[in-house]
Amino acid sequence: MNSWHHSALAQGLLRCHDCTALWPLALEEQHCPRCGALLHSREPNSLVRTWALLITSALLMLPANLLPIMRVTMLSSQGDASTIMGGVIELTKHGLWGIAIVVLAASILIPVGKILALGSLLIAIQFGKATNLKQKMVMFRIVHWIGRWSMLDIFVVGILVALVQFGNLAYIVGQTGALAFAGVVVFTMLAANTLDTRLIWDRHLQEASIGSET
Amino acid sequence: MNALQPDNRIACHECDLLMQRPLIEGDQVVHCPRCGSRLISSHPNSAERSLALALAGLILLIPANLFPVLTLEVLGRQQEQTIFSSAMVMYRDGLALVALTILLFAILVPLCKLLLLTYLSAALHLRARWPLLPLAMRSYQHLDQWGMLEVYLIAVLVSVVKLVDIADVHPGLGLYSLGALIAVTTLSSSQLDPDLFWHQIDELRHQPSPSEARHE
Repeated sequence: MNSWHHSALAQGLLRCHDCTALWPLALEEQHCPRCGALLHSREPNSLVRTWALLITSALLMLPANLLPIMRVTMLSSQGDASTIMGGVIELTKHGLWGIAIVVLAASILIPVGKILALGSLLIAIQFGKATNLKQKMVMFRIVHWIGRWSMLDIFVVGILVALVQFGNLAYIVGQTGALAFAGVVVFTMLAANTLDTRLIWDRHLQEASIGSET
Repeated sequence: MNALQPDNRIACHECDLLMQRPLIEGDQVVHCPRCGSRLISSHPNSAERSLALALAGLILLIPANLFPVLTLEVLGRQQEQTIFSSAMVMYRDGLALVALTILLFAILVPLCKLLLLTYLSAALHLRARWPLLPLAMRSYQHLDQWGMLEVYLIAVLVSVVKLVDIADVHPGLGLYSLGALIAVTTLSSSQLDPDLFWHQIDELRHQPSPSEARHE
């Protein structure tokens, strides 16, 4: 099982990404006879595209965290620009530790963790030794599943801005940081989608079979 | 006519391990022996279960979007909020793309997913060869991860906690409908058997159409 010969590609087969049908490799770059999707044995340019999306997300992390995501104006105060981290600190000041941790996790820990995790997978595929693969797959699955939860803060901003509309008394306005942050979420999700995990297995299995032959 | 038949084996989508298709009966989940990914999630009557849940979801989608999710009360003045209004205020503040992401992930994608699922499961249940079934199934699979209703629900709860010190927050009918809608859509994705759907779509495509059958 743990040899290269047991991979579909080594047996001359490719799997349709959408309907899971197996076809001979000759159908590469053609449309799946069953569902019509374009067939690829491996995601085309997976590494380059994932790197591009990942670097974009990493760069967007800066404005997402430095620029305010909303501005709160209440009675006399001239308007507090609130960043993501500012919002978390505000929550802890009110003693709302549980919610503060949820927001901190969704808005900062998950995006940063995702970028680091996908980056480490890419480096492992391109340069490193492909070891502890089961562990890496678990990490990838968590990253893939959890990514959408980062939209939390964007939704919160939308809800707060829609609710707090009391003219001179109190109102909240959305700010550019929210745009950058939404970008981070969308681009990291796309990055997880374009990363083809079979590449890391290919590398691992080919290394293993070369090792066993010598 | 159909010279090409797909190979009877299956391959893992995460590590490409080639295997014999296991024989499965009843509700069962099969994981890849090499990398542990979920290979098959088998649910008999998946089409019927999905049809019931998708219809329930479509019905719940209406109050979830029409009625206010939260109402805020400050000094006797009230402000209501729906999912749609939380997207539109972002547009008003000059953040059109943010408005678009909220609109897509919290309203349009969940709506499209339910419509596609209704169309697919109704066709499979009635054994009707409706047009574009493979495209509908592919679209559903690609849209799946972009529906974020449950994230929106948690965002509502976070907002309540943030506002509860400052003003009176009242949950609206929209919030309860949203909760029920999430329960239904979560169930429907857990009851979906993509392999069975593809198999049945394939069968429908290859069975002779009623007009052809009459000529024979």
